[in-house]
Amino acid sequence: MITDFPNSPLPLPNPADLDDELAALGGGEIIPKALRRTLFPVITKEDVFNLMLAQRQAPEKVVADFAEAYRAYVGAGYALPTASGTSSLHMALVGAGVRPGDEVIVPAFTFIATAQAVVAAHAIPVFVDVDPVTYCMDPAAAAAAITERTRALMPVHVHGLPADVPALRALADRHGIALVEDASHAHSAKIGDRVAGSFGDAAGQSLMADKNFPLGGEGGIAFFAEEESYERAVAYLSEHGIDYGMSWVAAAFGSSQLKRLPYYDEIRARNAALLGEALHETGLFTPPHVPDGHVHAYNMYRITLHPEAVGLDDLPVYAVKEAAHELLVAEGVPAREWQNTPIPCHLPFQHRDGFGNGYPFSLNPGAVRDHRPQDFPVTLGMLDSTLVLCRELRSPVEYERILRYADAFRKVARRPDAIRKLVEERDYVRPYEKAARLG
Amino acid sequence: MELFDTATVLTRVLTSGVVMSIEKSDRELPGLERLLTKKTRRSKAVLLNSRTGAIHAALAGQGIGHGDSVALAEPDAETAAFLAWLGVTVTSYDGPVAYDYIALDPANADRLGELVAGATAPALVVDLSGLGFGPAAAVLTDDPRLWARAERLKIFGAYDLRTMWTQEEADADLVPGVQFNYRLSPLVAACVRMALTQAAQTQAAQTQAAQHRPAATSGATQS
Repeated sequence: MITDFPNSPLPLPNPADLDDELAALGGGEIIPKALRRTLFPVITKEDVFNLMLAQRQAPEKVVADFAEAYRAYVGAGYALPTASGTSSLHMALVGAGVRPGDEVIVPAFTFIATAQAVVAAHAIPVFVDVDPVTYCMDPAAAAAAITERTRALMPVHVHGLPADVPALRALADRHGIALVEDASHAHSAKIGDRVAGSFGDAAGQSLMADKNFPLGGEGGIAFFAEEESYERAVAYLSEHGIDYGMSWVAAAFGSSQLKRLPYYDEIRARNAALLGEALHETGLFTPPHVPDGHVHAYNMYRITLHPEAVGLDDLPVYAVKEAAHELLVAEGVPAREWQNTPIPCHLPFQHRDGFGNGYPFSLNPGAVRDHRPQDFPVTLGMLDSTLVLCRELRSPVEYERILRYADAFRKVARRPDAIRKLVEERDYVRPYEKAARLG
Repeated sequence: MELFDTATVLTRVLTSGVVMSIEKSDRELPGLERLLTKKTRRSKAVLLNSRTGAIHAALAGQGIGHGDSVALAEPDAETAAFLAWLGVTVTSYDGPVAYDYIALDPANADRLGELVAGATAPALVVDLSGLGFGPAAAVLTDDPRLWARAERLKIFGAYDLRTMWTQEEADADLVPGVQFNYRLSPLVAACVRMALTQAAQTQAAQTQAAQHRPAATSGATQS
């Protein structure tokens, strides 16, 4: 199989490379251009073989077997396989009892699908800011947004770190509302021994091919704690004639990948730990915070910059970030922003046309807000001061490559003079002042 | 499709390493789009992961949404329920329809061109689920605005998620509303394309055989 291993393995890093000039200034690159490509997902001969075998089974059985195997892995009560993460979130909301015109509290920092799934359920997303350390929904902000029409809290285990479920669960119970997880980044993420997707009354999860646990292209799954919720979701699909069915082709690939998921989790955790140690040494960069008892799934790895640690605190943090970003990319590290504007400031939530003629926003005008980026200062601060790695920690990212990523961060952090020079030369603007981006 | 043929197609795509619909190097989705536009003689195709996703895209592509009414051939109960969920009312069963609809299966896949010959609506919904690879459908159109709106409904994109769009690129007149992930898997697209190609080849072979077959009376005379 050509996809088992990179075509061009990287050699181990050379310590002398760290003393070289920055690549952006004419020096050697930590990862040369020809060796930068990372492959994902891993596709093995076993995956091919398992798809061949799946052809000989009834399609419904292939999908049902996949859903049951993954439900058991997650430890949820009931599972409904779907065609996408968005449809799984829609079904999770419906199963949890969300009805047209209800308010659902969602974080301002997430993928747009979280909020669009609320609209799909004919409900109104109410956006709140995130916690400054975890970047997940802030329970205090959520508490402040609850009204008589709030039906659910919908935290996102963003980038793979479980949200503050104990606090949110207590908040939901206090108000008699549902807790619905968006676990789309959080395959195998845990609090204690429990796996994301099993924490709430319901959960939705994307299984598209760029997730830690990929299906053959597109897919999703909704989980439910109670049978009644599961039945409500199934009945909703039938009543409204909606086809959210999962293809057996995608399911067969998922069944095959599920067998190797724990192994890939370990590789990702190893890579994250290795990179984290290197970042702590730099002063300029720190890795994601992981609260005690939480297991981060690292679908993405958000790195925070601390200009004060290298004498750059007189510069705007967003400008230091932009300059460091430029220098890292030149070294061969594919760092990115992944979002630059709070989701409520994206066009669909500014215009609020919904399904047409303003529906479902028209059902509950009192819940609708005209948001500005400044309404979410914690999210803005995070966007100003952080960079993201995505596939760069996932298997099949090899040991040599993660060592080189670490070296690239070390090399850039050693050169605050180069960062300062770039900031002086460029005309950097805050992330939200650029066109809104999803990725 | 024979099991061996499906196996060959799945193996080919899997060994390419590209199974994600928003991967820039994916060739399967564009391949199916090209085949469908050629067969239906429409200029644009939108691939979707279900029949209802395609109906939604066909209507949203024309700016038909909640509170609007349309003319349609009398929908079956399932479609009527879905239209009600969209908030779209069917007001007449005659006159120019909002979309034409056909469902393909192994028995009629060779007649796609013939089946759509009389279709005149702005959008043509082709349900591909009957070919056996899971829910799959397409919207075909000659209207670039319909296509653009349908793409945005499908992929969270004001422009194009394959390039991780920015909203600066968006057409100011094409305001995105509700967005779904109605994307089709490249693996499914590859299988559907093979099924349609084989159906066309079978039809061509049958046509050729008929053209070269001796007159029926001569055989009878000889016996």
